[in-house]
Amino acid sequence: MKISKKIVLLGHFGVGKSSLIRRFVENTFSEDYKVTIGVHIFKKNVTIPEKGTDVSLVIWDLEGNDDISNTRLSYLLGTHAFIYVYDVTRPATYEKLESELNFLKEKQKNTPITVVGNKEDLVTKAYIKQNSDNFGRLTDFYVSAKTGGKVDFLFSNLAESLIK
Amino acid sequence: MNQDEKLSILKDILLTDEREYAKKVEEKLKVVEDIVNKQKQLSERVDPIIDQKLDDFVSQIPKTLGPVITEALKTEIKNSQDAVVEALFPIIGKMIKKYVQQEMQILSEQINAKMNSAFSFEGLKRKFKSKRTGVSETDLMLQELAQPVIEQIMVIEKGSGIIISEYSKTQAIDEDMVSGMLTAIKSFAEDAFEKENQELNYIEYDSFHIHLQNFSEYYIAVIIAGPYNIVFKSKLEDKLLDFAQNYINKEDIKDSDLFSKKLKSFFE
Repeated sequence: MKISKKIVLLGHFGVGKSSLIRRFVENTFSEDYKVTIGVHIFKKNVTIPEKGTDVSLVIWDLEGNDDISNTRLSYLLGTHAFIYVYDVTRPATYEKLESELNFLKEKQKNTPITVVGNKEDLVTKAYIKQNSDNFGRLTDFYVSAKTGGKVDFLFSNLAESLIK
Repeated sequence: MNQDEKLSILKDILLTDEREYAKKVEEKLKVVEDIVNKQKQLSERVDPIIDQKLDDFVSQIPKTLGPVITEALKTEIKNSQDAVVEALFPIIGKMIKKYVQQEMQILSEQINAKMNSAFSFEGLKRKFKSKRTGVSETDLMLQELAQPVIEQIMVIEKGSGIIISEYSKTQAIDEDMVSGMLTAIKSFAEDAFEKENQELNYIEYDSFHIHLQNFSEYYIAVIIAGPYNIVFKSKLEDKLLDFAQNYINKEDIKDSDLFSKKLKSFFE
């Protein structure tokens, strides 16, 4: 039987949601910033060798929003997993991280959320360590859409967790 | 002085110029011979390199020259649109004319076939319908000829947009992407109007009509080619409601394989 899962990416403008998806789906990256309007939908099949099965990830790339409460709630319905993306170099994108995550938990109670700090290539390990009490305590992965670092791992790990 | 010495002196006197000339000719010949040999040697060594370079150049043309040529063509077309139209118009015009002629011929043959069966049961039925409805027999005939065709049926989970089941005679589109996009459009439209219990029922895309039939947990998207009219819509709705009420239960929604089997057997 075919397994399909809906993944929704959220976060502020310009944090790199679309770049992360393009890196994962097409293995490409562009420095040109093209703002997402509304929603873009992507798809990629991920093989889970341990289970001997394929999972079709239907990825919804929502437009960036500086206030999560402005997100169109109907886009969140039926989501199997959220990926909340922020930019490690821009405090404005993670300052309200906790309240934004609470908003999501309130609206979609049983949907798991993976928190991702993007643009890891632009900061040092020491910088991330300094912020361990700040965004660090809520972050699951630090990734880089530019270098591709941990992007595949993020999605395949998520796919695996969804079919457990 | 003996005979031989005398002969030698005589030869020197008589043949000095010729000997010098012969020597010069010999030297020139040697130079020419060297050049030819050197070129041969050089050619043996250089030819494979040139061949290789040429092959590389040819294989690199799409990469290196492709974008340049495309850009040049784009600029040229942009700058001389009238010339392009003038050049293409006769070709496109001919193509369209040929296509229309062919389609008209097919239509004409089909109408002739219908006319020949004017006194058949179908013909008499059409005559009766024409008198009853006031629609001319020709119009009725044309309606019969231009029938809508169901291209694809997709059963989509509400909210998530995940496809539960799909049926099509020719697999042409990525149903996961389409079902996601249809759900996003539907969600957007229904959110934007902010009126409760109102749902998007129809989308037109190029020459295709997408009929959306909403149920509580899922909706069915039917992609139709050809004319989509009220009569067809009503028939389609009846069929979809019949399918949902009498053939599908809650368990089927969780089992996409079973749902697909039922969908296929119902619509085939």
